Amino acid sequence: MKILDHKLRRELWANGWLLLAILCIIVVGVACFVSMGSSYNNLTEAKARYYRQCRMADFSIELKKVPEADLRPVAELPGVAEIRPRIQFFSTVDLDAVSEPLNALVLSMPDRHERVLNDVVVQRGGYFTERRENEVIVNDAFAEANNLAPGDWVRLVLNNRSQELYIVGTAISSEFVYMLAPGTIVPDPEHFGVFFLKQSYAEDVFDFDGAANQVLGRLVPDAPWTTREILDRAEQLLGDFGVFTTIPLADQASNKYLSQEIGGLRSFAVFMPMIFLAVAALVLNVLLTRLAEQQRTVVGTLKALGYSDGQVFAHFLKFGLAVGLTGGLAGCALGYVLAELMTMMYQTIFEFPELRNRFYPGLMAAAVSISLACAVVGSLRGTRAVLRLKPAKAMRPKPPKRGGKILLERVTILWNRLSVGWRMVFRSVVRSRLRSLAGIFAAAMGAAVLASGFMMIEATYYLIDFQFRWLLKSDVDLTFSDERGRDALLEAANLPGVRLAEPVLNVACTFENGHFRHKGAVTGLQAGATLTVPRDTQARPIRVPLVGLAMSGKLAEMLHLEAGDMVTMHPTKGLRHPQQVPVVEISDSYMGTAVYTDIDYLSRLVGEEFALTGVQLQMETDPGERDAFNRQLKRLPGVRGVANRQSMVKSIEDTIILSMNVFIFVLVGFAGVIFFGSILNSSLVSLAERQREVATLRVLGYGPWQIGSLLFRESLVLTAAGTALGMPLGYLLTVAMSMSYDSELLRFPVVSSATTWVMTAVLAVLFTVLAYLFVQLAIHRMNWLEALQAKE
Amino acid sequence: MTTSPLLRLESVDKVFQMGEVAVRALNDVSLEIREGEFLVMVGPSGSGKSTILNIVGGLDTATEGRVFFRDREMTSFTAAELTRYRRDTVGFVFQFYNLVPNLSARENVMVSTEISDDPLDVDEALEMVGLEERLDHFPAQMSGGEQQRVAIARALAKNPDLLLCDEPTGALDVATGKLVLRLLVDLKTRLGKTVVLITHNSAIAQVADRVIRLRSGQVVEVAENPEPLPPEEVTW
Repeated sequence: MKILDHKLRRELWANGWLLLAILCIIVVGVACFVSMGSSYNNLTEAKARYYRQCRMADFSIELKKVPEADLRPVAELPGVAEIRPRIQFFSTVDLDAVSEPLNALVLSMPDRHERVLNDVVVQRGGYFTERRENEVIVNDAFAEANNLAPGDWVRLVLNNRSQELYIVGTAISSEFVYMLAPGTIVPDPEHFGVFFLKQSYAEDVFDFDGAANQVLGRLVPDAPWTTREILDRAEQLLGDFGVFTTIPLADQASNKYLSQEIGGLRSFAVFMPMIFLAVAALVLNVLLTRLAEQQRTVVGTLKALGYSDGQVFAHFLKFGLAVGLTGGLAGCALGYVLAELMTMMYQTIFEFPELRNRFYPGLMAAAVSISLACAVVGSLRGTRAVLRLKPAKAMRPKPPKRGGKILLERVTILWNRLSVGWRMVFRSVVRSRLRSLAGIFAAAMGAAVLASGFMMIEATYYLIDFQFRWLLKSDVDLTFSDERGRDALLEAANLPGVRLAEPVLNVACTFENGHFRHKGAVTGLQAGATLTVPRDTQARPIRVPLVGLAMSGKLAEMLHLEAGDMVTMHPTKGLRHPQQVPVVEISDSYMGTAVYTDIDYLSRLVGEEFALTGVQLQMETDPGERDAFNRQLKRLPGVRGVANRQSMVKSIEDTIILSMNVFIFVLVGFAGVIFFGSILNSSLVSLAERQREVATLRVLGYGPWQIGSLLFRESLVLTAAGTALGMPLGYLLTVAMSMSYDSELLRFPVVSSATTWVMTAVLAVLFTVLAYLFVQLAIHRMNWLEALQAKE
Repeated sequence: MTTSPLLRLESVDKVFQMGEVAVRALNDVSLEIREGEFLVMVGPSGSGKSTILNIVGGLDTATEGRVFFRDREMTSFTAAELTRYRRDTVGFVFQFYNLVPNLSARENVMVSTEISDDPLDVDEALEMVGLEERLDHFPAQMSGGEQQRVAIARALAKNPDLLLCDEPTGALDVATGKLVLRLLVDLKTRLGKTVVLITHNSAIAQVADRVIRLRSGQVVEVAENPEPLPPEEVTW
């Protein structure tokens, strides 16, 4: 067999370009698997380690105020291992270096370090000391973004009073791996920070002596009830203390984003490589079938010489295995490097104490095995065909290819108009069925990847436009710590530079329809409000009902409600009487589960004449006035949050544009490899099969470009057919992805403009042209005189 | 019969570099091909007849010496000019027909008419070779003789000045071979085409106006044949 290995080596070498095309596809497929698989493992392990380290809570309950003593029944619920009462408030930070007030989440931590639930990991400085009561630990990203360090002083508005706090350290916590300010979708550490206060100080400053407004809890591993059941029971037990919301870990914002990313990685780690390896197997199939046919006389001779079927089979299979092994190993190497880069990218998005890329031997072994399996599957058909031949028959040249009419010829009107060139193209496409199918499949996959990718990008921009340009139109949103009256609206309207002020009333409540329940909130807007404009599914503005609710489609779906139905609303404010209210309109939104109604109507529902919890502002554009506005805002009491829409949208867009650019780059690269590799391969095989035909055409006076145009048209037909199939496939893929990402927190719209389809088509053609240029080079270099004289 | 030269080879050498060995395929060959004649070149394998045909047909170029088509020196043609020359001037007939398997008889002929400036009617060309009944048949559905006739029709349809035939009867039985020869002779007499036929079969030389014998890359004899035999009377 030694000498056959020489033959093998030379053949591998002689088919260099073809193999390179296939290798590219395999390498990218394997690299996808390895990089996404590694990143999945990296994140999963980092998450598990971090959650263990910080003793991440399994649930949290948010309520108005509860004495710690009254929490005992919750702690004793079957399945509850441990609870931790905590004080949490939203507040604003006043930094001298920053003109506008920034937002803060204030949380209490034990005075002395204990391994409590949702513990912190100190990064710089240290934990609280006994030297001062007003010590604070700042979350590391905020400190870094605002140049704060241990030893600095920082001013926070706590319980309507401005307080000077001394920074003892910076820390991170597993609760804030993905740290989001309320109402946004990307972390913005410059404008939002978490501040940990001493428990004793927090109790003192918020008048929460021995009380809490948040309960964290951990469950035993085999709790007899589900988390949901336990939370429902806890809510019943704490009913008197005004429960706003109960959040299982699965719905905790940071955890949810992180888990979604990890879940996405897992599906992509399976899905993307599958596409590539399927294409690679098909393309390899084409190449080996060609090789086996080309070598039928060699095979016949080998058999005549006494080589067994097994030996010949093994010889051809080795060709595939060599390709699979090379692709697998190179893919592993590339995948490892990509995983390194992805992990670096994740380090900027997620905050972990330790997130490193590791080498996973099991994953690599799996990757190489998959690659080999794909290569073997790809090689089987061609190799088997050779074995079926009897030696004597195999040694005779192959009879001329069967000719005959193809289906398209029945359409005589069309067929008769085609030039001979086009007829050759169509016949060749139909006759080389396997090759054409491989080409169409590859193009379909490439186009689907492109189309769905472009649709995701469009969806993201649409979502940003919808949420932050069409739905929310204010420049600044102020949130107050308590309900306020008209005076607050007036006060806000009189701040310098304010053009328009509109009131907002937010009431947390539980919606109930039969046995469907959901915790959420209702937003009251004034009649004819212009700064929040709820919209329907076609993004058309809808009128906020004066009586009844305009409910987001997602919430209506969860509660099994339609427009016209009645829903029971249990408000957590005011008199807290359950109310029967009609659902008048269904609105659309891609974030959260907003419900809108008229502010006067909502005020009456909670037993007030007129109340507001926030004000939306439209500002004059004069920057000088903006400074005056910020200065006064910092002194305004009772403000617990300031959302600057412009800076929010900018930070979202900056983050998104960056990740979108990376995404586009990777996407186009992936699709390019699929298109380019498969087209190059199928054209070169086609060229090799038709050397004699090409030579004859040259003798007849056809130039190399004319011959190239035949092959180009053939590729173009396959690309066009594949792209036409791939586009709807991409659409369906996006619908599937949008469905899998459909959560209460965030949903992806399915939008496709002409841009998606045009870009997909243009890129498909571009890759085809690119591959064709290589084919043209091969045509120019082809020794056709030799091909002419070769006896097939 | 006209005697002005259509093509002229002057001291042509052709050397093939096969790895480190140089093989001299033509050695100082000078000859003429006259307008409107039926010329047969005979010689054993390796005598250089195919090489001459390739050079004359614009498929290959000479290593040394000069080649003239009418008064133009072909040795200085660019690749594009050679393509042009093959397209407009030469019709090729191969031993193994070289039809495009994917195309019917008619379409195989159209392959050459589509790139020609002054082609014959496709059906007429096929009628001339007696294949008016087989227009829509594919190569795999035709006998060798029929395939060769399609190839002749393809060469003819471009309306070339020069028909170059490389062992056109080599793959055919005697009877079919004679039919093909008859066709080629008729093309000369009826349409006035210049036909050059190369073969290792000396018997075929009897139908020629002139015979050039080759051996080891050299012309060993040029003989006029004032009374060519009709193909039907030739035996081999």
